[in-house]
Amino acid sequence: MGKKSLTILTAIVMMAACGWAQDLALKGGTILTITKGTIENGTIVIQKGKIAAIGKDIAIPDGIKVIDVTGKFVMPGIIDSHSHIALTDVNEATDPVTPQIWMWEALDPGSDAIRTTLAGGVTTVKTMHGSANVIGGVNVTIKLKYDRPIEELIISGVRQQLKMALGENPKRVYGEKGRSPSTRMGNAFVARQAFIEAQEYKAKWDKYEKDKAAGKKDLTPPKKDLKIETLKMALEKKLSVDCHTYRAEEIVWIINFCKEFDLDLLQISHCIDGYKVADVMAKAGVFYGGWVDSWGFKEEAYDGCPYGMQIMYDAGTKMVINSDSPVVGRYLFREAAQVLKYTDIPENEALKMITLNAAESLELDGRIGSLEKGKDGDIAVFDKHPLDTTTKCLMTIIEGELFFDYAKQSVTAKGEDR
Amino acid sequence: MKKFIQFSLVLFLLLLAARASGANDTILIKNGTIVPVKGGSDMVGDLLIENGKISQLGINIPAPAGAEVIDATGKYVYPGLVAVMTAVGVTGYPQAGNDTDEVGTSTPQMDPYDALNPEDDCIEVTRVGGVTTVQTISGSRSVINGKSLVIHLGGTLAEDMIAHRYVAQIFNIGAKEQNKFPSTLPGVVSYLKTMLNQAKDYAQKQSEPAKEDSSKRDLAMEALVPVVTGKVPVIFITNNEVTIRNALALIEEYKLDGIIRAGSGILKYADRIAKSNIPVIWAGTESLPQRWQPHDLNYHTAAVLAEKGVLFTFDSGGYGPGNRNVRNITRPAAISVAHGLSETDALEALTINPAKILGIADEVGTLEKGKIANVAIWTGSPIQGRSRVETVIIKGKLIPMTSFQTRLYDKFRKIVDERMKKK
Repeated sequence: MGKKSLTILTAIVMMAACGWAQDLALKGGTILTITKGTIENGTIVIQKGKIAAIGKDIAIPDGIKVIDVTGKFVMPGIIDSHSHIALTDVNEATDPVTPQIWMWEALDPGSDAIRTTLAGGVTTVKTMHGSANVIGGVNVTIKLKYDRPIEELIISGVRQQLKMALGENPKRVYGEKGRSPSTRMGNAFVARQAFIEAQEYKAKWDKYEKDKAAGKKDLTPPKKDLKIETLKMALEKKLSVDCHTYRAEEIVWIINFCKEFDLDLLQISHCIDGYKVADVMAKAGVFYGGWVDSWGFKEEAYDGCPYGMQIMYDAGTKMVINSDSPVVGRYLFREAAQVLKYTDIPENEALKMITLNAAESLELDGRIGSLEKGKDGDIAVFDKHPLDTTTKCLMTIIEGELFFDYAKQSVTAKGEDR
Repeated sequence: MKKFIQFSLVLFLLLLAARASGANDTILIKNGTIVPVKGGSDMVGDLLIENGKISQLGINIPAPAGAEVIDATGKYVYPGLVAVMTAVGVTGYPQAGNDTDEVGTSTPQMDPYDALNPEDDCIEVTRVGGVTTVQTISGSRSVINGKSLVIHLGGTLAEDMIAHRYVAQIFNIGAKEQNKFPSTLPGVVSYLKTMLNQAKDYAQKQSEPAKEDSSKRDLAMEALVPVVTGKVPVIFITNNEVTIRNALALIEEYKLDGIIRAGSGILKYADRIAKSNIPVIWAGTESLPQRWQPHDLNYHTAAVLAEKGVLFTFDSGGYGPGNRNVRNITRPAAISVAHGLSETDALEALTINPAKILGIADEVGTLEKGKIANVAIWTGSPIQGRSRVETVIIKGKLIPMTSFQTRLYDKFRKIVDERMKKK
């Protein structure tokens, strides 16, 4: 028997002994399902990466690795729908319109920010183009499978989002270069011009495809343009839109703009003034994406108001809490607790802002964001209730695999620093 | 929330009316869980405030005639939090620029008093978050930045707010210049030494009998004299191991009353710092670890500092006008508690420790008889992100629980509700 076949045989034996790598059971914890209440002393069985069973008296199939989480709190893996982690490059700040940029081409699975973010119970992140350009690149939504091949990180079969940005950032970046856009009027012009070109481009291609399908001969296809090609995808709703803007009038502007061009606007990021136009956002069905209590770090952020989340909640505005940074991305659960300080929003709704709502904003609510049979086995285990700010994450599990283990990775647990 | 704000407003109007009718500022807080932090143990009881001071703590204190009685049943009474290294009062207006960080490598004479604005929106936002006393600094980006002062966040004129004018000088030992001297860390050290030597000479000259030319004053040197004579402490802003080491060397060589503000790398020096009784402003709880460090090294650092007996407080994660969220000073404390710091140590780090570091421990930082009545009533521990501040008293006066943010809330609550009614 060759060395190679011996290795394979060993692997098979090991799998038989331990079950599949993506099989796991957690038993004894307080499970916060998000959609179906709290299960005390519950069990979750994950098989082939999916939740196979969840409940109070669940039989654990033989051969599955079992982790006892008695006394611990089990919640869905946290989702951050606005971040820039794990990217080698963030801003193609050379032109206000760069839709030809695809962020997965900058994705670095070995980025240390993945390791530190995992330790905050986060399993899924939308990592994005920066805000230098009115039309930036296409974001990428990933599972935080640290150091694995990028194919394992990128979530397939889901619509990705085109990043747009209004206001101060593009104004500053291009104004300082002495070129347009240097005003918000300029930002608006740049966006409109780009999508009008895309409409014309799409019309040409549609005609060509139609003629081709009708069997017309001697057709010359229109010239491919990678920039406009991406915008055409947005017009065809193969991509949705996430727009960065702080100010109320811009929020209304982008909602109207997306109606004008029939674009799917899913999220408004850094939405500091969202509460001022909560009703408009609710009607448009667009997500508020932002912080809980951050204001005044720049002029556009001056009117940041944590109490405003109550206005949005009452108006029916959908809300998610984002990090926008590798620092905050590690404690989104503490951000969620701050919601309870400034509003009367119920606990579970605050938790939804970092789980199910975030999943919905990524069009992934069928797969992640709550603990239900059939959903991905993405789980965060905490030592106390996640809205207790003195809690810490003990385990982060993605599709049944343990990617963060406090007991093994923590200096606090090991006391090595003394 | 709406009710809470309405309630606050009514309470405020009632208080205004009471004041107009000549009521004094005697306040009796009844039946709260009183957490003195130090100098006493937690108890369910009363706290009496008279003439701006805490006059009595105990059980069943009778209400003096005309006293404002606050029922704190089920609530928690804490000393007002004390925050260091803030820009509260000098954060400026959104369109007029801020008033921190004067241009120049050395500007020790800059005094935040000269820019202090009692209308700074940050004052109200900070105090309704339970922070009642802050150190306001003149800047942080130069090598020698300037003076810093202590204010209580109540009062309508700058002079009413000031507690102490010159509590510490601020050096940034990592503030390298670009394209001019000093552009390296050793350059910064030699620059600081030169300035300190000049200040020593200046102090020497001042102490000598007056000569003809000695009337020429140098305001920068005058600001540094109390530093080199050890009368005013100096806070060294450091951001890594090298800058901490350089700061410690300067403190020792020049016998400075030094304080280390560290963003990372403090643990290696914890024993030495503890032995030398150098206070630490730990600003690195939320700093990202280095690639080779455990994910929670910085989360856990405060616990180690406490264990080694280092006098430390937290920094609210950034200074200057970019950080107006001084009230979130409680977050690094919460993270540290999650990672091994005791809740008692965390509370001390937010109250009495910064008071000690700023030299005002006999005035604020605990609930003790005779101290300035800076008190906040919370729904729970300040360490808990969800705890709300319901009442704030500063220098014995009830503070309206309103801010620029509650006014924004009121305004847009009405606007949004009315628009929704129409549709």
